[in-house]
Amino acid sequence: MSSSQIVHVIDDDIAVRQSLAFLLSTAGYAVRVHESAVAFLEALPGAQDGCVVTDIRMPGMDGLELQRQLRTLKVGLPVIVITGHGDIALAVQAMKAGAVDFIEKPFDDDVLLGAIGSALDRHVHDAERESRTAEVGRRAQSLSERERDVLAGLVAGKPNKIIAHELGISSRTVEVYRANVMTKMRADSLSELVRMAILLDSAL
Amino acid sequence: MVYGRYNRLETMPVDASIPQDLESLTAALEAAEARLQSILQTVPDAMIIIDEHGRVESLSATAERLFGYPKSEVIGRNVDMLMASPHHEQHDAYLKRYLATRERRIIGIGRVVTGRRKDGSTFPMHLTVGELQSDDRHYFTGFIRDLTDQQLTESRLRELQSEVTHMSRFMALGEMASTLAHEINQPLTAIANYLKGSRRLLERMTGEEARVLREAVGKAADQALRAGAIIRRLREFVARGESERRIESLPKLIEDASTLALIGAKENAVRVSFRLDPALDLVLADRIQIQQVLVNLIRNAIEIMSEGGQRRELDIATTSVGDDMVEVSVADTGDGIAPEVMARLFQPFVTTKRKGMGLGLSICRTIVEAHGGKIWVDSRQDGGTIFRFTLRAAEGGEQSLVE
Repeated sequence: MSSSQIVHVIDDDIAVRQSLAFLLSTAGYAVRVHESAVAFLEALPGAQDGCVVTDIRMPGMDGLELQRQLRTLKVGLPVIVITGHGDIALAVQAMKAGAVDFIEKPFDDDVLLGAIGSALDRHVHDAERESRTAEVGRRAQSLSERERDVLAGLVAGKPNKIIAHELGISSRTVEVYRANVMTKMRADSLSELVRMAILLDSAL
Repeated sequence: MVYGRYNRLETMPVDASIPQDLESLTAALEAAEARLQSILQTVPDAMIIIDEHGRVESLSATAERLFGYPKSEVIGRNVDMLMASPHHEQHDAYLKRYLATRERRIIGIGRVVTGRRKDGSTFPMHLTVGELQSDDRHYFTGFIRDLTDQQLTESRLRELQSEVTHMSRFMALGEMASTLAHEINQPLTAIANYLKGSRRLLERMTGEEARVLREAVGKAADQALRAGAIIRRLREFVARGESERRIESLPKLIEDASTLALIGAKENAVRVSFRLDPALDLVLADRIQIQQVLVNLIRNAIEIMSEGGQRRELDIATTSVGDDMVEVSVADTGDGIAPEVMARLFQPFVTTKRKGMGLGLSICRTIVEAHGGKIWVDSRQDGGTIFRFTLRAAEGGEQSLVE
C-alpha cells in the first residue's frame, strides 16, 4: 500500500466517523474524516489517491449524488457505501452508480477492511473482478429466458407481484423462478444476486 | 264493503254543508276512497293500515314492493306476517295491551325493528305508527323506511375505519422500528468500531492481561454486532408484513378513503371537489395502505383549514404522468407550510401540530416509496398546500393474471 493512499470517511454522525477513523488507523490506514459530501468535495483537490467510505443517507448531498458528482468530475476514487438503512433498492442504486461495495451498519471489521483492501489494490481488484465476472457469466448461461426476465425484475428492485404482473404470470410462479435463479447463480442472498447481476451488466 | 270500511275514518271530510242525501254521501265517500288510494299509490315510504285486531286494511304500492307481497295476499290477514321474531309472535299481545292500557311504546315514537319479506329474508326497518280513531274502532297506520342501504353503508364505513386504524397503528410501529433501527445502528457501529480497533491494538501487546483483555473486547464487539443483527431481523419482519399489492380501482380507493376522512368535514364548512381523470382506473396498490395515505393527507388538509381562513376548499385530483404512473393530488387552501419545515416534512418526528408524533407523513412516504412511487409537497400560488404522490398504473383487463 502506498503512503499517498488515504481512506476518506464521510458520515454525518460524528461518533461513526471518529470510530471509523480509530478502527482504520489501528489497521494501519491513513484516514481523513468529512462531515458531509459537500465538505469532502471541497477537500477533493488534495485527495486524488485512495478510496472513499461514505454513508448513503445524509442531509444535503446523499451518497448517490456524491457518486454522480465524482463521475462528472472524473475522479476515479473507488467508493464503498455503508448504510444503517439496508434495503435492496438502495443497494442496487449505489452499485449501479459504481460503488465497489455496499456494507450494512454495524459491520464486522474484517468485512470493511477486506473491502477497503481490494478497493485500494486495484490490480488485484480488477483481476478478481475479471475472473469473477467470467464465473458469474458461466452461471448465467444456464438461466432460461423466463428466469432471466425474473432476474431483471429482481435487480430493478421490483417485488414479486409487480414482476408477476409485468410478465403476465402468477406470483407463485415468480417465486419458483426466483428460487431457480438463486440456485443456478449460487447466490446466498438477494443482495449477492444483485451484486452478480450488476457485475454482469457492467461487463456486457 | 267500501263504505263499511271508510265511513268511520276521521280523515273523511265531515262537514255540515255536505248534503245528507244518500247519493251525495256516496259521491263524497268515493272521492275520499280515491284520494286515499292515490296517496297509497304514490307515498314514497311504505305505508300499512291495520285495524285493532292487527288485520291489514290497506297498504301502499311501496309496501307491496318492499315486502314482496301483492296486495291481495296481505289484505285481511294479520300484519304479524310481515314481522320477524320476536315481534311476529308478540304483536297481537302488543295491540291488546295498548288498547287496554293506552301506554304508548311505539305510537308517535318510532323505532328500528326487523321486517320479513315474502321469501323469508329479513331486513332492518324504521317504523313509525300513527293512530286513527273513529266511533269505537281503532286503526293504526305504519310508516316504514327500509334501512338496508343505510346500515350497509354504516357497517362498511366501520369496517374501513377499523382496517385503516389498525393499519396506521401497525405502520406507526413499523416506522418507529425502522427509525429506531437506523438511530440505534449508528451508536452500535461506533461501539463495534472502537472495540474492534482496540482489539487490534491489544493484539500487538504481550502478556497475560493483554490476552484476556483482547478476548473480552472482541466478545463485546461481537455483542454489538449481534444487536445489529436483531435490529435487521426486526426491520425485515416489519417490512415483510406491510405490503400486499393488488390491482385496485383508483377512483374506488379515493372514494372510500374520502368517505372516511371527510367525516366531520361538513361541520368545518370545507368544500370538497373531485377531479378524477376518467381514463385512469386500475393501479397496483395495497388498498389499505394507499387509503391510509389518502386519509392522512385529507385529514391534514381539513385540519389545517379548520384553523382559520375564509376559503376552505379541498381539491382531490388524479392525472396521468408518463406511460405507467398515475399522480394523485390533495390540495388545500390553508395557510401553507413554512419553507424551513417543508424541506423536512417527510422525516420522522417532524410535525407542525401541537399534538401528534410527526409520523403521519413519514409513514406516507414509506408506503408510497414501497409502492415504487414518490411523494412531495408544493406551495400553491394563491396560498395553501398541495401534496402529490405517484402510483404505478396497471393496464386494464389483466386482473386474472395477478393472484
